[in-house]
Amino acid sequence: MRATSADGLAITGIVAKEDFTVNINNMLRRSTLLRAGVAALALSSLTGFAGSAKAQSITPLVESGSSLLYPLFNIWVEDYQSINPGIQITTTSTGSGAGIAQAIKGLVQIGASDAYVSNAMEKAHPTILSIPLAISAQAVNYNLPGVTNLHLSGPILAGIYSGTITKWNDPQIAAANPGVTLPANTIVPIHRLDGSGDTFIFSQYLSASTPSWKSSVGFGTTLSWPPITGEIGAKGNAGMLAAAKANPYSVAYIGVSYASKVAAAGLGIAALENASGAYVTPTPDTIGAAADSIANSTPPDERISMIFTTGANNYPIVNYEYAVVDSNQEASAVADAIRTFLTWAINDGNSPKYLKQVNFLPLPAPIKALSAAQIAKIQ
Amino acid sequence: MQLKPFRLTLLGLSLLIPFALGAVVLFLLIFSWQAIGFNGLGFVSRVIWNLGDLYDDPVTTRGVLVPAGANYGILVFIAGTLLSSAFAILIAVPLSVGAAIFLAEIVPHKIRPALSMLVELVAVVPSVVFGLWGIAVLVPFIGTVLGPAISKYLGFIPFLAGGDSGGGYGLLAASVVLALMITPIIATTLLDALLQVPKENRESAFALGATHFEVVSKAMMPMVRTTLVGGIVLALGRALGETMAVLMVSGGGLNILPHSIFSPISTIASFIVSQLDSAEGDPTNMAVRSLAEIALVLFIITLLTNAGAKILTSGGFHVRKPKQ
Repeated sequence: MRATSADGLAITGIVAKEDFTVNINNMLRRSTLLRAGVAALALSSLTGFAGSAKAQSITPLVESGSSLLYPLFNIWVEDYQSINPGIQITTTSTGSGAGIAQAIKGLVQIGASDAYVSNAMEKAHPTILSIPLAISAQAVNYNLPGVTNLHLSGPILAGIYSGTITKWNDPQIAAANPGVTLPANTIVPIHRLDGSGDTFIFSQYLSASTPSWKSSVGFGTTLSWPPITGEIGAKGNAGMLAAAKANPYSVAYIGVSYASKVAAAGLGIAALENASGAYVTPTPDTIGAAADSIANSTPPDERISMIFTTGANNYPIVNYEYAVVDSNQEASAVADAIRTFLTWAINDGNSPKYLKQVNFLPLPAPIKALSAAQIAKIQ
Repeated sequence: MQLKPFRLTLLGLSLLIPFALGAVVLFLLIFSWQAIGFNGLGFVSRVIWNLGDLYDDPVTTRGVLVPAGANYGILVFIAGTLLSSAFAILIAVPLSVGAAIFLAEIVPHKIRPALSMLVELVAVVPSVVFGLWGIAVLVPFIGTVLGPAISKYLGFIPFLAGGDSGGGYGLLAASVVLALMITPIIATTLLDALLQVPKENRESAFALGATHFEVVSKAMMPMVRTTLVGGIVLALGRALGETMAVLMVSGGGLNILPHSIFSPISTIASFIVSQLDSAEGDPTNMAVRSLAEIALVLFIITLLTNAGAKILTSGGFHVRKPKQ
């Protein structure tokens, strides 16, 4: 079957070529615009025919959303295309909010998001699933000449980002860093000004650890940031990195997929206080510990925050990277394709071969089972 | 009546542009209608912009279901847009007038085409490239050299103090980037006009004993004043609507009005881009509708500046003759 269609393709290809040369000759002879139009039409109808003949065995899927997940999807799709040529996946990086919105509208089949679908959205669209695909984390980085092992806590960061803590030698920072000589310089807080899952999980950490932040600013993919003189809004993780590098005495939150670039820029990685009162830096161990600690308490719809978990070794800013999918697909072939791809993603796709490249961690076994159960719901 | 296919086709094509414009405005108006009602006139005078809590149940505020704590005020963005464009024009006009006169009067004929092509080339540099240059070169320069110098020596002028804020990101960086982008627009428009000044006028002025400076400033510039204003309006249109480059260097000021040329700002266009993604997470859709309303405001601002310029150019300007 496939062989014949390939032959057919080859033949139409030759015909098209001949047609084209004939038309070119005509054009050269008479040089009329009309001819060019006919040639273009003939060509497009031929290629269109070839395309429809090919489409019978291939299901196209579109993925859109989180710019943090985008590199992983790109690595996945490149390999997956050779494993299963029957599913053709297009990846786009638009932002978590757009990913969720487009998945709800049915414009894309897989929405990628750093945040699960909100309660309010879930109420309005109950068929939307939030399926964890991998685990990511976020580092709080600082540009503090002479200091290499800084401890920061949620209340300190909330103070910095709301303008109540303005100097590096503030008593609260000093109390968290005994024995460290802190400079008297003004802190330059840097935040994302584009909508971002990074802002979402950072503000969730502040909200979970600091009641006053929760009641005044709250959390979201963009915030109504309290105005602070000297604060910088930067675009994208790359912009955050550039701003932190260029501004001594700055502090910024940057996803761990940028870890190597952050290290190259000479920025420090803060040890953050977790819910057990311990200061931990983001490492595979501490991120894994946070994920494991809630693996058994995750509800079946998997919409749960992994921020600020209890456990001596738990890193506090850890999150699932979600695929947002409508469980009620119009075409069963599309539903089959989504199930097949996502099942691959949480199994083979979770191998270090892929995740290492973006510093993500694989799903723990209980979470993988829950994700598989959710994937099975896509019909 | 005889059908004239050529005429009809042209008529159709020419109607397409106003039709498209009308359709866009109409769409924005219909889409943002609910937001216009909800926000009222205070929309343009409030300072605080807050999408509210998008993750909890929406609440009824002023009779409409919106996220809890939602408050849409865009005075900060209007101020950022107008200030950055105004400063950009202030920087760009002397530069481009100088460049155009240099190209028209000083440069030898043989190399003029090459040089004017260089100026035109600047106009086609994608804005994101200017933004990158802004982040890599301009922002650190303002933050470490220019900013401190200005606030040290000119800090007594109210709007110029406070060089340490924003670390280089802010109004000045945005204005300089915008100025670079619009300088070639004004310069090339003006150059074309200067080259069309009749030889007779120029030579008569010389014959009367005018210096080269007087010839340019008294005989030639008055003749091209309308074109200069037209070029500035074109440039203003670009500056008001510029998005990406501004977003990269403006520092994204929010909830606070700029108090110096170093303050972080947001312009309307860049703010829409930066908020759209989060706004789409609003289950009540009010955030996206409010963004559409901001777009309408931007449209009105550009319309007003264009209309103003039209009045300027059609009024006293080109009938006024140089003083005898």
